[in-house]
Amino acid sequence: MATNDQDLLATLQSRMGGNVQIQLGHLGKASVQVKADFNRDVLKILLETDKSAGISALTGLDMGETIGLLYHIRTNGAIVTIRTEVPKQDPKIPTITDLIPGAVFHEREAADLFGVVFEGHPNPARLVLPEDWPDNLYPLRKDAKLDDATINSEASKSQTEPVQPQSDGSLVNIIIGPQHPALLEPEKFSLKVDGEIVKQVEPRIGYVHRGVEKAAEQRTYLQDVYLVERICGICNSCHASCFVESVEKIMGTQVPPRGKYIRTIILELNRLHSHLLLLGHAGLEIGYETLFQYMWRDREPIMDLTERLTGNRVIASTLTVGGVRRDIKETDIPKIKTALADLKKKMGFYRQLYEGELTLKMRTQNVGTLAKEDALKLCVVGPVARGSGVNIDVRKEEPYEAYGEIPFKLITYNSGDSWARFMVRLDEIYESISIIDYALDHLPTGSFRVRVPRVVPAGEAVNRVEAPRGELFYYVKSNGTAYPDRVKVRTPTFANIPAFLKTAEGGNIADVPANFVSLDPCFSCTDR
Amino acid sequence: MVLDLWFVFRVLVFPGFTFILFLTMFCDWLERKIEARMQNRVGPNFTGPAGILQPIADFIKLLTKEDIVPRGAKKTIFKLAPLLAFSIIVFAMSFLPVDGAAAISNSSFTGDLIVIMALVTIANFLLFLSGWASANPYSTIGATRVLTQFLGYDIPLFLLALTPAFLAGSLSISAIAASQYLPFVLLAPWAFVLFIVALQAELEKDPFDIPHAESEVVGGLETEYCGGKLAFLHLTRDVQVVFGAALVVELFLGGPYGPVFFGLPEFWYSLWFVLKLLAVVVITEYVTCLFARLRIDQVLTANWKVLLPLSVLSLALTVALATWIYPLVV
Amino acid sequence: MIKELLSNLFAKPATSKYPFVKAEVAEGFRGKQVYDIGLCISCGLCSRDCPAKAIEMVEVDGKRRPLFHLDLCVFCYQCAESCPRNAIKSSEFFELASINKSDLVIQPQATSQKGDGAQQ
Repeated sequence: MATNDQDLLATLQSRMGGNVQIQLGHLGKASVQVKADFNRDVLKILLETDKSAGISALTGLDMGETIGLLYHIRTNGAIVTIRTEVPKQDPKIPTITDLIPGAVFHEREAADLFGVVFEGHPNPARLVLPEDWPDNLYPLRKDAKLDDATINSEASKSQTEPVQPQSDGSLVNIIIGPQHPALLEPEKFSLKVDGEIVKQVEPRIGYVHRGVEKAAEQRTYLQDVYLVERICGICNSCHASCFVESVEKIMGTQVPPRGKYIRTIILELNRLHSHLLLLGHAGLEIGYETLFQYMWRDREPIMDLTERLTGNRVIASTLTVGGVRRDIKETDIPKIKTALADLKKKMGFYRQLYEGELTLKMRTQNVGTLAKEDALKLCVVGPVARGSGVNIDVRKEEPYEAYGEIPFKLITYNSGDSWARFMVRLDEIYESISIIDYALDHLPTGSFRVRVPRVVPAGEAVNRVEAPRGELFYYVKSNGTAYPDRVKVRTPTFANIPAFLKTAEGGNIADVPANFVSLDPCFSCTDR
Repeated sequence: MVLDLWFVFRVLVFPGFTFILFLTMFCDWLERKIEARMQNRVGPNFTGPAGILQPIADFIKLLTKEDIVPRGAKKTIFKLAPLLAFSIIVFAMSFLPVDGAAAISNSSFTGDLIVIMALVTIANFLLFLSGWASANPYSTIGATRVLTQFLGYDIPLFLLALTPAFLAGSLSISAIAASQYLPFVLLAPWAFVLFIVALQAELEKDPFDIPHAESEVVGGLETEYCGGKLAFLHLTRDVQVVFGAALVVELFLGGPYGPVFFGLPEFWYSLWFVLKLLAVVVITEYVTCLFARLRIDQVLTANWKVLLPLSVLSLALTVALATWIYPLVV
Repeated sequence: MIKELLSNLFAKPATSKYPFVKAEVAEGFRGKQVYDIGLCISCGLCSRDCPAKAIEMVEVDGKRRPLFHLDLCVFCYQCAESCPRNAIKSSEFFELASINKSDLVIQPQATSQKGDGAQQ
């Protein structure tokens, strides 16, 4: 463990005394059990030790008489979990949004799904549930009666948005979404504009909320792998890998080396197709249709490779607890290498385009700039963070699968504008190609899967994976049966949306789509 | 008054309304096919051989859809504006000599170049009105953008259109077309290039695509239109393309005049006209595929700070050359 | 980009004219299931493990057999993996869109099914 962590935990122990119980190696680097009143104090000490600490996720747990709240804080490249409890009858706790502004959405979600009241939260509105959801019905509590829930009709009547443009003085309210050509998936963003300048953005997410976390509790672990894969089509393997790794941590299973390498190859193919999708989509949003068509044409060989390796062009369904379901055939390896070599040659053309094309640069440079301090305060992840100079990548901080053995570069750009975010993804394509090549050259022999029992012993684990959009976080709690007790998913776009609100303000309306696509939004992930 | 059947034929069939309509449909197909091929796709290929009936199929499909007028819209303007814009552009096209003489023959007079530019202005203003009359914030933004962009490119377009007038020494289009013993594109290539750029702005194609940028304002001024009125809006846009290309042909590429091999000169003139027009359409489509879409403030900068001074310079240069150099050399 | 556009103008398109041209899929593609009633031992593991609850055990000739509801199926092939006798196999048939609900059900019958899994 690094000395910073030693200092941190020692400081915590000495300053808080008997109010904390520290357990090393549990739920990340350490878990810190405190009473709800001392929650903020622990957080303050954490932030003093590490100024760039941010919140990774906020898990709610129904523990019978109390509601457990786990604050998973990302600090020094690892997770430290702060556990508190609030009584179910009176679930109040002070907010932490003044210390960590990026916790805004996390607290709103816990309020929506568990009924916890965060005192002092700047905007305690519903986040994932619709406005006409009945009051006092909290879905993720174990005793929630969902079968005879009825619509709260007064709430739905008072919430209809007027269709005509409203003026707030000189500000006109423009609504982007839920259906809009700029958005792939439905979300609503209300822009208050003055002429062509955006003054304020109010998001409303939750249109694609399918209750996956609740559904995961009602299916076995084996079935859940397929369920979580379908949270997002584009980063499906990452969800599957994060989930199976958490379960493997609880069970203590060791995946054989060949399985790890095959998983790495599939994850990197996932990253390739996702980045190519986004770079092409960026072209479409800024009106550059030719770039879009070319890029998606060059994305097709990756889809064909995925089909060859896993049986389906998009949803791989190949990862499972204990390894992978299919092996890579020896005859396929030269085909993979040829396809990747072709892609690498074509990327030269795109690199030239992104660096040299005048109109493209005019639309993306100095547009949607996110300063480094804001990126840290809002706890953004993935290429959005790396485009603003924040060096975080789970593959380097806590290597999982075979990433610890494969050399690759961490790509960062410092300008923080949309162009930097696109270039990060462009360069990551090169890195992914070299990772896959290395993995194929050094593929270990042997089995690729171990059989595991269907019943998972009691325990809990957290796990992080670097999805194409950023850090994907899972918390899995098992109670000794074949059904999980709690599965918590925190997706990268959920963490990145507050950053979009910040970058859109002060810019043109015309910049909103270009800006928006540069943070690579995936709303199926956000809403689960 | 005797009804001149020949006149009626010329106005309604060739080279008047029907010819323009078919040419528009063909150019729409050609644009889509060229754009598709440049993007490594196939383009329309199912309706009719090589998809040539696709524009007609789209038009008919739109006519069969329900035609709704929004409750808060200004009904008369909403219904009339697209139709009027379309008619005005077709009317403007009838001044251009297609087979050696304009559709409204004997009507070409000195100054009809100015009249045509004025008609284009009115048509664009009608398009703005059609967006403004729909009670929708997206339409309003789209319409405002049409007008803002228009204010920027109108003066350069006008100045550049006057350049061939100086070279020919006349403001009558037929005279300009007829006096090109050497096409003006060779005598003033800078004016040709700038005119193509200004034309991109007038036709609302990339990089000046902003008035109907789908990813931002849904449909721009077309948002609330559906059914037959939308069919006419699309037709107006396509006719604008044909008109712009025809203007380029007349002003810079020698009009319909070209070598006559045998038989009727009118046939050869029409053929050359159509071929040159298609070439210009291909050029504009190529430029469209080449660039991304600029933001409105970038468009304004491009128009006022780049295009306008350059067009003034080009005019000055051409006039200087025409007065002193060309009479000696050419 | 300038040259690329011109060269593509005369090149063969990258898209294929499906459905007039047959679409090729890779080997091992997860298409429509092929069920062999001769190998089935009626254990019901496929139905128990299906994440989409798309397999229903029905009585056929006195034995429990799986009925596949393809409109619920997600083609994950957990059923094939769970089957101890390898009675469920994949095929390369994927053109499952239909206007009849009955096309989307695989009945557990002893029909001789062709290798590509197309409906008899």
